[in-house]
Amino acid sequence: MLDGIITGLQTALLPTNLMMVVLGCFVGTFIGMLPGLGPVSAIALMIPITYGIDPASGIILMAGVYYGAIFGGSTSSILINAPGCSGTVVTAFDGYPLAAKGQAGKALALAAYASFSGGTISAIFLLLAAPTLAKVSLSFQSADYFALMVLGLSAVAAFSGKGQVVKALIMTVFGLMLSTVGTDRATGVERFTFGSIDLLDGISFLLLAMATFALAEAMMSVLERVDEGAETQDMTKLGSMKLSKEEIREVAPTVARSSVLGFLVGVLPGAGATIAAFLAYGVDRNLAKGAKKDEFGTGSLRGLAAPEAANNAASSGSFVPLLTLGIPGSGTTAIMLGALISYGIQPGPRLFVDHPEVFWSVIISMYVGNVVLLILNLPLIPYISRLLIIPKPILVPMILLFSITGVYLVSFNSMDILIMAGICALAIFLRLLTFPMAPLLLGFILGGMMEDNLRRALLINDDSLSFLWERPITLTIMSITLLILVAPLFQKAIKRFFHIESNAESLTID
Amino acid sequence: MTLSKERIGALFFLFISIAYGYFASEIKLFPGDELDPMTAQTLPYVLSGMGIIFSLFLLISGDHKEFGSGFTHLNWKPVIALMLLTLFYGLSLDWLGFLISTTVFLIAGFRILGEKRIKVLLLVAVPFVFIFWFGLTQLLDIYLAPGRIFGS
Repeated sequence: MLDGIITGLQTALLPTNLMMVVLGCFVGTFIGMLPGLGPVSAIALMIPITYGIDPASGIILMAGVYYGAIFGGSTSSILINAPGCSGTVVTAFDGYPLAAKGQAGKALALAAYASFSGGTISAIFLLLAAPTLAKVSLSFQSADYFALMVLGLSAVAAFSGKGQVVKALIMTVFGLMLSTVGTDRATGVERFTFGSIDLLDGISFLLLAMATFALAEAMMSVLERVDEGAETQDMTKLGSMKLSKEEIREVAPTVARSSVLGFLVGVLPGAGATIAAFLAYGVDRNLAKGAKKDEFGTGSLRGLAAPEAANNAASSGSFVPLLTLGIPGSGTTAIMLGALISYGIQPGPRLFVDHPEVFWSVIISMYVGNVVLLILNLPLIPYISRLLIIPKPILVPMILLFSITGVYLVSFNSMDILIMAGICALAIFLRLLTFPMAPLLLGFILGGMMEDNLRRALLINDDSLSFLWERPITLTIMSITLLILVAPLFQKAIKRFFHIESNAESLTID
Repeated sequence: MTLSKERIGALFFLFISIAYGYFASEIKLFPGDELDPMTAQTLPYVLSGMGIIFSLFLLISGDHKEFGSGFTHLNWKPVIALMLLTLFYGLSLDWLGFLISTTVFLIAGFRILGEKRIKVLLLVAVPFVFIFWFGLTQLLDIYLAPGRIFGS
């Protein structure tokens, strides 16, 4: 492992890669601050740039953008009560009241320290867990991978919040359907191409990601008139960024607890930063006593630190299944998986063996990313937030242009722009009907691999599906899948039967 | 039966799943493929079936809330205009070339979203597109074909 860490350090600390982290954090913070645009869009916008550089630098850049976007999301949650992404919705519960009290600087600093601690603790966990898990997963066979992918897809649906499970399942199936368009990898037969040459290679992953996220989110912000807030100008006046010793003592246990919790939630397939943040907030509110408990929702420091530590820890945690099993647990890691595959790198247990520099440098650069966010981004927030003053009429067409040219400059096929417009229109329609988009992307990316693994498993197992219950690992994974799928369905039925109203907010997963 | 948001979505996906299943039956197979346990049609059939089951489930269990004011309160005009602009950009890129079509795209985009000052439109769009183009073609060495109307 020490060799690995040294390899990682050597790669991650190269001047170009350090620059990538810094650049990624900045760009991510900026995009994350824009209400409506989340980390998936931020990463999608970066992918065309990463095609020109080597894979390790590319994934480092994307990881930087990921943290930056979550941090930027927290900033807009705190300052203008408009969460930039779903992972930071909870941050606004206590962050915005703090800012309203004139303690915006303190709230931002606390968010940054909590994020940093969350990131650090989970980077250490990742360092320990990932190689071990990668070694274990080397013994996995096609059958197990197939089962894991089914688990990943089902988990994303199951964790997608109240009333969203069936919709998420439908979107997953739709994503899988889209993944079958093109030439069948095993037999070479054309499927659903309708005679079009443009569809022979299938739908481009980048095109789908851009159209359903970056383009659609920018359009949605126009459609729904997302109010950027009149207070934007006040962002430059933040007040003191200092925390007193008592305050640090008060939040330290919260941060530690939430980081561990966040990491564990992040590792689970399907449960990302959003769920981690909600869970950590809930846990800490329940643990708080007396007056401290009443403070939650009105500007509690613990209420701010808990989701911040948890969402950052979960972001790192979500890299564990991606790096070790090649199975993304969220929309964000799905898009990174897509990018890695287009570099010709197959994430999974072999990544650890075949491309140790990618594996380790991502882990190391996560830590570097956290440091960059703390020492560079935090003091620069007043300046970065000035960029938000760029009027929307100027900003939105630019985002549209970057998403369109991002796809065009890879394929040089103007037909792609027309397909993008079509998919974007469909994505807007589905977003308005409150169908989640992340499962679509996940289904699309995992579809091909799932079919390959199922086919291989069937071949190995003499054309019988019995591997699903004969191999202990496969059986275990399939049982977990069944359990998490059935649980929410029953929950809904029971609630309806007893007319129990739940006020839990529906979550969307990044 | 009220037509809620969920039910519209469910009907949409029911239609998609049935159409997908129909087209799956048209996937050509090689002779002998039907003996394999898994052909190019297998997964599409399974997906179509799952799609139909889930959409029917959503159709039945979906919420009963009236659709209400629908989508009319939304800011449709600029979004439709931007969509049309995107289509225009896709169609014009080959003909007018990167510089002209991108400049037109940006100026029209700014205008659609309410920026009326001609000075701002030009001063933002033109230098931006030029710098973007310069970066792509000169710094990153990406070849951008000139528009067809200019001949080649």
